[in-house]
Amino acid sequence: MSAPTTTAAAIFNRSTPAKRVEQGAFWLLRLATYFVLLSAATIFIDIGWKGGRVVFQKQAPFINVPFLTEAPETLSVFEFDGKKMALGDRAFRQFSAAHEEKMKHVAVETYAYSAGGIFPNIVGTVLLVFGSITIALVLGVLSAVYLSEYATDGPFIRFLRLSIVNLAGVPSIVFGLFGAGLFVLTFKFGMSLLSGWLTLAFMVLPIIITASEEALKAVPKGYREGSLALGATKFQAITTNVLPYALPGILTSSVLAIARVAGETAPIMFTAAFVMRDELPWQGLSKWTDFFFQGVMALPYHIYNVASKIPQNEYTRDVQYGTVFVFLFTVAAIAMTAVILRQRLRKKYKW
Amino acid sequence: MPASTDTPSLPRLATREVLLRKRRGWFFGLSGDQFVKYVFQGNAAISIIVLALITLTIFKDAVGFLPQNHQNLRIYRLAGLEYVDLFREQVTAHSTMSRYLASVRAQRLDLLLNKEGLAPAAAMTRLADFDAFANQFADTINEQETLLGTMTDLTTNLKERQKVAEDLVEAKRNYLDAIPGAPPERAAMLQTKADVIHPEVIDFKGEIQPLLAMRPEIAAANARQMAALKALLAQAPKFTDADLNRRMEKLQGFVSDYFQEVEAVVPKMAAWDQTKPVGWLESFNAFAFGREWITASFWQDWYGILPLFAGSLLIAVIALCIAIPLGVASAIYVSQVARPIEQKFIKPYIEFISAIPSVVLGFFGIAMLGETLRRVSQMPSLSWVPGFPMSERLNATTAACLLALLAIPTIFSLAEDALNNVPRSFKEASLALGATRLQTMVRIIVPAALSGIVAAILLGFGRVIGETMVVLLCAGNRIAIPNLGAGLGVIFQPVHTMTGIIAQEMGEVPHYSLHYRALFMVGVVLFLISLLVNWLAQKIVRRYRIVAT
Amino acid sequence: MVTTLAMPEPVAPPAAPRPVSVAPAAPVNPAARAVIEIDDVDFCYGASKALHDITLNIQERQVTAFIGPSGCGKSTLLRCLNRMNDLIDGAKVTAGQIRIDGVNIYDPRVDVIELRKRVGMVFQKSNPFPKSIYDNITYGLRIQGQKNKARLDEVVERSLRGAALWDEVKDRLHESALGMSGGQQQRLCIARAIAVEPEIILMDEPCSALDPIATAKVEELIHGLKKQFTIVIVTHNMQQAARCSDRTAFFYLGKLIEYADTRTIFMNPANPQTEAYVSGRFG
Repeated sequence: MSAPTTTAAAIFNRSTPAKRVEQGAFWLLRLATYFVLLSAATIFIDIGWKGGRVVFQKQAPFINVPFLTEAPETLSVFEFDGKKMALGDRAFRQFSAAHEEKMKHVAVETYAYSAGGIFPNIVGTVLLVFGSITIALVLGVLSAVYLSEYATDGPFIRFLRLSIVNLAGVPSIVFGLFGAGLFVLTFKFGMSLLSGWLTLAFMVLPIIITASEEALKAVPKGYREGSLALGATKFQAITTNVLPYALPGILTSSVLAIARVAGETAPIMFTAAFVMRDELPWQGLSKWTDFFFQGVMALPYHIYNVASKIPQNEYTRDVQYGTVFVFLFTVAAIAMTAVILRQRLRKKYKW
Repeated sequence: MPASTDTPSLPRLATREVLLRKRRGWFFGLSGDQFVKYVFQGNAAISIIVLALITLTIFKDAVGFLPQNHQNLRIYRLAGLEYVDLFREQVTAHSTMSRYLASVRAQRLDLLLNKEGLAPAAAMTRLADFDAFANQFADTINEQETLLGTMTDLTTNLKERQKVAEDLVEAKRNYLDAIPGAPPERAAMLQTKADVIHPEVIDFKGEIQPLLAMRPEIAAANARQMAALKALLAQAPKFTDADLNRRMEKLQGFVSDYFQEVEAVVPKMAAWDQTKPVGWLESFNAFAFGREWITASFWQDWYGILPLFAGSLLIAVIALCIAIPLGVASAIYVSQVARPIEQKFIKPYIEFISAIPSVVLGFFGIAMLGETLRRVSQMPSLSWVPGFPMSERLNATTAACLLALLAIPTIFSLAEDALNNVPRSFKEASLALGATRLQTMVRIIVPAALSGIVAAILLGFGRVIGETMVVLLCAGNRIAIPNLGAGLGVIFQPVHTMTGIIAQEMGEVPHYSLHYRALFMVGVVLFLISLLVNWLAQKIVRRYRIVAT
Repeated sequence: MVTTLAMPEPVAPPAAPRPVSVAPAAPVNPAARAVIEIDDVDFCYGASKALHDITLNIQERQVTAFIGPSGCGKSTLLRCLNRMNDLIDGAKVTAGQIRIDGVNIYDPRVDVIELRKRVGMVFQKSNPFPKSIYDNITYGLRIQGQKNKARLDEVVERSLRGAALWDEVKDRLHESALGMSGGQQQRLCIARAIAVEPEIILMDEPCSALDPIATAKVEELIHGLKKQFTIVIVTHNMQQAARCSDRTAFFYLGKLIEYADTRTIFMNPANPQTEAYVSGRFG
């Protein structure tokens, strides 16, 4: 403070070095934040643009139906009568049969998975998600009820919480190893839906427990005391006056868990997912219980395969971007639901 | 249920009677509520059970690694592979020098073509005397290579026989194990089958005598080689370019280093002891400190985790270098600076980023980012950056950029929570003293939230090091310890990672083989790292929690 | 404990239905039957002792007020009476007995659920469930398995009338209870408690969150309710205790300092501490 100033002069808004530094710093922070948002947007736009062209089309029905309803096929590319042809497996066989003589001298390049669609992969992913979420929700919600309503602090509970926290941090590939070692080999479930379900369910269990417990804890204590004071048993109090109000929160967490389960590749690579399987899991079963022991194709694993095992060129790009598009935007839609649901609920349930 | 609720006029039991009415235990002597409680408790215990099972499963399959690797190393010594490798080092060193000469030649050719503007054919003639020199240089190793070939054939043959013998022993044991409890006919059949199997018992000591006998021959060859090299170097070609001449002088240095090595080889081989037992610690050390991960090799498999660990670490460090500033900055921005409307939009957005499946990011890396980064690195104006232009499209940095995007939401949400949990009163007190918002943030809020931010960073690290698909697709998958000699350019080298190796090789290994168990050992390391990171993060949060009063 | 179980009267089986229209209880009736007998009760939260050696009798169809400064143990004692303290980890009665109708309620054979049906409770913060008014009132009966619609309707009307709420809400029984005003919510909670026909109603500072008008209504209600129920009310508001209770117990630091007719406590306290408190010199 070199020059004495009056209060009136001092509080009048002036540009001081301190303020300029502050503005600069804020801009830096703002830049960093928007850089993150922009990076993510780039990914969405790139995949949305290139994949959207595969999945959607200009003429009715506007959606590339075969891509969504057919199984992957090998694409054969060849030159025939001066025309470049690119045919899927079945079409190629028909074509070769029709032009047997000429085809003998045509050089054919083949690209795996690059024709047809991704129907079995979608089916597999849906089955995996559905089963594992069911298992995880049952186990997770019951555990959360115990932790929030029954548990009294003690060594058992402390150990339990420690387990949950640590389980949440275990890398997904380690869950994959665990599933392979325990379910696939020791229990002899093989590469199957069941192995995949259990592996994925245990992977998201901590997420569901933690989030459900939070939802339960958010229900005011007065509701429990109120019911108990009216002569409800503890179980009645929980089922009639706690769980219903925690349900939306639990649902939100389970939607997030669905996004996680659907998006993971590492845990299913050696527990459930096949690179290629011609039959859908419910086809050709000798008895219905065999269903649980069928391996499936799955979207994320398919992406891994098409991204790493086939070359990138104009013929393979469609299936790559198309698959990623379907996958990314399904998962994103699920996650978006969760985010919106949560914001709605935050507004609605304020007690 | 009390009858009193049916109609108001019905008799109502006296309080004392009602209170003391015995509730029937209806399930194994438990009351309904107790039973329900145990059901819930049992479910909660699943988490403990799962953690225990994970630990058990991966450790169970991993511990078997030590004895199996021990046997692996024992055969390596017994069959003389170790002995041959001593000699192989010399040959490798020589071929390194030959490669060096080739790089000198390439530089020279480049000069001739681009600086002096010669036509290719003319350039070739100018290079003729250098090529002659290089060829002669390369020829000096021929004798050794022949010897090495002989030795290699001998030992691999021995190892192969040992493997066949081991398989037979295994088969015989399987037959014999099946006998108890089998019906008599079958038992007899199994017995005969087992009896026919006569696994060879190899006399390693005798078998490797020819190897040992080759030592004088090697010594003689080496002496001849050194003489030839000395003579050759005396007439090494000279260049007009100073830089090239300096490189040629460096070759002289390499050769004299090589001579030292050569002189040491035969004594080392002589000192080699086939009967020296392989310690258990050696089996462990070969994993924990092994610098090579070589599998399915005709010669010898090595399962050293160092290259993978180094790769994972390198990627994690780069990713965090990107993610920490961005993640923490966005957390500070959103919690302290942003307007409410920005907050409402940015927070869900960043949460939403965490839902992008990692395989999608990996795909993006392969399809777009890798190529884009390489294009950027090839811009002449950026050639001053160490490591530019990148030699590989997929490398540690490509993977790290994407991993950073995965780690940012983790770091962001936890750090933002920590910042929001700083009591309002701290901030108000500081502002009331006339501090600017920036000063308040830097001096009060961020320090108060520091433990939370550090924990967030740790968990971000855990997320990055445990991530699989991105590194599998984008890290380049070259199994080698990153070459720190390249300076900062090291970050553009392709690497392989712990998670990547499991994902890549687990699908193809024979169950319960040494390789399978080695992968589980890697899994154990990952598991322990994740526990450690979690434990540290919790400890930090608990230790430095602010108690708002 | 068990000694108290000898039943003096062979409970006339079809016990006379609750005498609904009893003459207003005499304001002070030392001879009235003691419904709750608290004998030498010590109570601990973990290691810290919250109640020391409390002994007092609460009489039938009277309003008994517990007063005292914050933390004096009045709420703790109240919550002991229907064993709500069981929900708190490490909290327990370490000595003495609490008998209701001669039965020690901490006897292991006692069914807590039945106890709580007989001893209703109204909390400090009104806690209507986020359901309709109708569902709030019928909650207690429904969890007991009552499904008869006519019967439920009747209980709803009777309870709401009992809580002087019927006229205000009879047209919106199926709207959410959270839409009511604070005072209405608290009276709804009282109606909800009445619906299960308890004998005793415990009120834990029922008016602390209410404005004066709503408070007056609740107090009026309490006055009416004591014709049917024994009421124990915890309050930090001395005027309230003076206005609506028949007997008052003053607690300080976990001890019962004085227990007497409300009039006596406020006009002519025996203990100087009581006098200091009621005259507003501390607390």
